[in-house]
Amino acid sequence: MIGDAVERSLRSPQVLISVSELLSNAAGSRMPDVQPGLLTDEVARRVVAACPTSALRIDEAAGRAHLILNYGECIGCSRCVAAGDGAFRYAEKVACCGVSKQSLVRRWDIQSRSEVVQDEPALSQAAEQIRALVGQALNIRQVDAGSCNGCEAEIVALTNPYYDLERFGIHFVASPKHADMLLVTGPVTRNMAAAVKNAYDAVPSPKLVVAVGACGCSGGIFGGSHAVVGPVDALIPVDGYIPGCPPTPSMLLAGIVRVLRPFLSPWRRRRS
Amino acid sequence: MTETVSNSESSVSRALDLLRSANTRLVSIFGSTDFGSSDPGSNNENRVCRVHYLIDVNGREYRMISAPVTGPIPSATEVTPAAAWYERELHDQYGIECDGHPDRRPLLLHENWPGNVHPMIDDVSHVPWAEGQYHFLRVQGDGVCEVPVGPIHAGIIEPGHFRFSVVGDTVLHLELRHFYTHKGTEKLFENAPLMDGVMLAESVSGDNCFAHAVAYCQAIENALAISVPPRAQAIRLIGLELERMIAHIADVGALCGDVGFSVPAAYTARIKESLLQASTRFFGTRFWRGMAVPGGVTRDLSSAETTEFGAIVTSAARDFARMARLILHTSSVQNRFESTVILTAEIARQLAVVGPAARASGIRIDVRRDHPSGRYRNLNLDVPQYKYGDVLARARIRIDETAISTGLIQETLKDLPAGSILVPVPPSGYAEALSAVESPRGELLYWVRISDGKIARCHIKSPSFQNWPALPLALPGNIIADFPLINKSFNLSYSGCDR
Repeated sequence: MIGDAVERSLRSPQVLISVSELLSNAAGSRMPDVQPGLLTDEVARRVVAACPTSALRIDEAAGRAHLILNYGECIGCSRCVAAGDGAFRYAEKVACCGVSKQSLVRRWDIQSRSEVVQDEPALSQAAEQIRALVGQALNIRQVDAGSCNGCEAEIVALTNPYYDLERFGIHFVASPKHADMLLVTGPVTRNMAAAVKNAYDAVPSPKLVVAVGACGCSGGIFGGSHAVVGPVDALIPVDGYIPGCPPTPSMLLAGIVRVLRPFLSPWRRRRS
Repeated sequence: MTETVSNSESSVSRALDLLRSANTRLVSIFGSTDFGSSDPGSNNENRVCRVHYLIDVNGREYRMISAPVTGPIPSATEVTPAAAWYERELHDQYGIECDGHPDRRPLLLHENWPGNVHPMIDDVSHVPWAEGQYHFLRVQGDGVCEVPVGPIHAGIIEPGHFRFSVVGDTVLHLELRHFYTHKGTEKLFENAPLMDGVMLAESVSGDNCFAHAVAYCQAIENALAISVPPRAQAIRLIGLELERMIAHIADVGALCGDVGFSVPAAYTARIKESLLQASTRFFGTRFWRGMAVPGGVTRDLSSAETTEFGAIVTSAARDFARMARLILHTSSVQNRFESTVILTAEIARQLAVVGPAARASGIRIDVRRDHPSGRYRNLNLDVPQYKYGDVLARARIRIDETAISTGLIQETLKDLPAGSILVPVPPSGYAEALSAVESPRGELLYWVRISDGKIARCHIKSPSFQNWPALPLALPGNIIADFPLINKSFNLSYSGCDR
């Protein structure tokens, strides 16, 4: 019967998602996106009031009112989509992930109804860079620092036949001692703090740490709890942030690649 | 669902008497505080601490007995061992002493937490870090080795600690040490607006987030006597059954993975993903987050979508059923699954085990049939059961239930009531209610107390909290190398247990 099971599997259609379709695809994540043309002062104030976390706020420091959306704090509750009169909709792509916490933040000038673009490079060349990774290897050790297991479900999905993370030379390993990168989910709980610190210390240098999900990036809805220390960077140094509650497999992949980017060029130089 | 709540004149001994009588099952024990009925704004000195015993009577009625607590109370653990963890939690959270409890170690709060601070009654704004040591049971004798595993495990799984005492390969004793993902969730519910509580409920156990959301919403709706439109009830049923299908399909695949049969593991992961993508396409969310809110659901299905969605579910179920047949007929799978970790009906009863694990050990309980709510009230549900209580029985239960869930989804899609999907939530004063849902892991129950339009107390009875203590009792005599398979066959949530 082993043969039958294998045969059945071999006969099933190919479901692998191509790299170009995959990158930053945020469908199903319920992360919001802004239609700047429809943004008004009233809408901005309404969505800020509706937001249960502080992901949305208004910044008037520069003398002009800016609407700020911090994806690191967004739990995808979709209240802004409901309250935004069309100015908010579900994002098809979320490119906000990266090496600094600032890269999770977008801002719009409410008066001129336009996005205030920041210096972070766009993710458009990332497809090329994933290809550059093929043949290289990245070993990831996933650490749950107290998550609800939603992020774990999506990280596990990265290995299914649709996403097939292994095609990029990226593997999940059993020990932090074998890892190049720690992928840390969840708010760090008091009870996990010592274990997370130990795991971090066990990873050989140079090492990368990526904080995953609203809880990993900002503490999320558990930020104020007595049993929680805080986001991942409250405990260990973090090299990258991937927002979402939970981030979709595509967002996870885009985030991992974004964090690797600074390391890609020297690697390639060394090889040539 | 019948619910009896009795207050001041009742006592702890009445609860223990009820637990001693036949045909009762402990559902939960938890605490709460209030200011009596008269003066809600008064200071902490007037605060009354209460203990609540939630007991299933005759498998048809949830009965709650509440009693004010002024000093130590008699422990229920000698009446029913299922009370052991609940009473340890009661002490951690409320400082309530249970006289005669055989295990006085802290449960939720580890050594980093000072023993005299009880989060549900004390100020927790600046709690200092403490140090101490947890004492595991020592198994001694020639050739006995201790194997500590965790809290961080080898795979992409949640954290928890297992302390095995083995002789060679064979496990003599396993002690669990959990609550590494304890996030103080029940405390966070306090003072949350009713509409925000659902977000916390969704983050108790992410892979069962819809079951948690529905249980929470129904508790609010029961408290405020909101009648949810039939169409919303139908969509909730579809979500709950889809979540069960996804969980069971993934579990069966993971069991194959743990016996080194990776082809069906990948194949079932593919089927699971196809259902998550269908959820994205028709409901805009992979795990049905944000779908349930008090008063109904947030997204409707058009009639064209109904047909398409139904077709995807049917095809996924058919695909799974065929692969499941091949899996069960593979001799190497049978060899690893059969007679591995037998949870006897006797132990399962004593520990009040729920869900697929109970049904695989010959205990036919299912909230959907015994305490139906919403659209489940009109169903004649088939509840499968197996007697052997081994890994194979737990796999079979999941395979059978996937087929039943598919049928329920199809039936519901065919007969989707017309009308609205959401009604407004009226302003509220003081109210209490409970609600139970059969989550993929078993009986999940929310009890809420609402005061001035906010949550005053929300208790979550999670099936994982109930079932974890059964695992170590089923394990002795099995080999340690089978533990991943064994653990997977129960597939309990750590976060759901730890909260």
